[in-house]
Amino acid sequence: MHIVDGALAVPVLAVGAALTVAGVALGLKRMDYDHLPQVGVLSAAFFIASYIHLPIGFSSVHLILNGLIGLALGWAAFPALLVALFLQAVFFGFGGFLVLGVNAVNIALPAVMVYYLCGHGISASSPRVAAIWGAIGGAGSIVLTTIMVAFSLMLSGEAFLLAAKATFVAHIPVMIVEGGVTAAAVLLLRKVKPEFLHIKDETDYA
Amino acid sequence: MHKGLWLKGWLITALLSFSVPSALAHNVVGGVYAIGNQIEGEVGFSNGDMAAEGTQITVTDRQGNTLGLVATDSEGLFVFTAAQRIDHQFFANLSSGHVLEMVLPADELPDDLPGGDALPSEAKRAISTPLAYSGDQIALQQMIEKAVAKQVKPLRKEIAEYKEKASLQDIIGGIGYIFGLCGIGIWWRQRQLEKQQSSIAKQGQG
Repeated sequence: MHIVDGALAVPVLAVGAALTVAGVALGLKRMDYDHLPQVGVLSAAFFIASYIHLPIGFSSVHLILNGLIGLALGWAAFPALLVALFLQAVFFGFGGFLVLGVNAVNIALPAVMVYYLCGHGISASSPRVAAIWGAIGGAGSIVLTTIMVAFSLMLSGEAFLLAAKATFVAHIPVMIVEGGVTAAAVLLLRKVKPEFLHIKDETDYA
Repeated sequence: MHKGLWLKGWLITALLSFSVPSALAHNVVGGVYAIGNQIEGEVGFSNGDMAAEGTQITVTDRQGNTLGLVATDSEGLFVFTAAQRIDHQFFANLSSGHVLEMVLPADELPDDLPGGDALPSEAKRAISTPLAYSGDQIALQQMIEKAVAKQVKPLRKEIAEYKEKASLQDIIGGIGYIFGLCGIGIWWRQRQLEKQQSSIAKQGQG
């Protein structure tokens, strides 16, 4: 998912950076500072997730986790993901510094969208319904990210459909794994720490 | 019930990964090296997958003038025959925002090619080869060059792989930065709260 330096046109980079600044500002404003440690932990999880490649067949995938981060953090996903992406560029050489803004928008905006689309679903009283919404959130955030990556490439001159297809097909395994992981995480969090997912009512989920 | 679902998900993932071209979010890596006037290069991903067969590599000079187009073979390798002793730039686009630019500096190419700006080729030959080579010696030189290139190749590959690998220090360092940032955030927040409280207390006194 990390676009590298040199792949995008300058206006795209500038727009991406501007959107990221706006998103981070909004995220910092809306963030519940009592939950700052939670933001840090999820940021660290994202930082590591891209580095751990799970072998599948003769290829490998890695988790992106932006769906889960979006569900848990909402707009605070922007600062959390920006910090993690910056550190990935520093330590692992993923992506680059010029494309940091575009990468942050491509990964954080779907997270925020999932927060609004599936946030209600995961607090449903039936665990099964909640798990399904979690899976939709996990897989959906990857779908949205691939579309945004393809869109950034299109604005820089690549054919949209071609880029979208290539990116989408390559990420189908990630979508499935991510959907499963997010659904499992939602189920677990509902039981042990519902406030992590902003589930406030005292329904008995057991 | 859920277990069955997970299992199915994993199974589908495993099946898909056999048919899916791996262009996941890994870093693009590659290298170019000269063997005589042949420039050999390779492109692939940091997880060991090589570029798809037929990936176009654009060869340009420093000014961006196209010198030629080559395509990779099934192992991600390509060969370009240099006609001039100038810096060669290689640009590969592996789709989904994975691009790579590599440079082969002019001084790695043999002296007898035309071009180059440091010294006129006559003068260069006078320095490096005071004696005129006979045909046999030239053939021998080429053989040595080829043999050395063959021996060095695995080392080059290993070094490139080594460079891509982040160490445990990097991972722990990154997490440390994230937690440190959180610490700063919490400290700053605490200070704001204390200021508010003290100003309220002062108002109460006054």
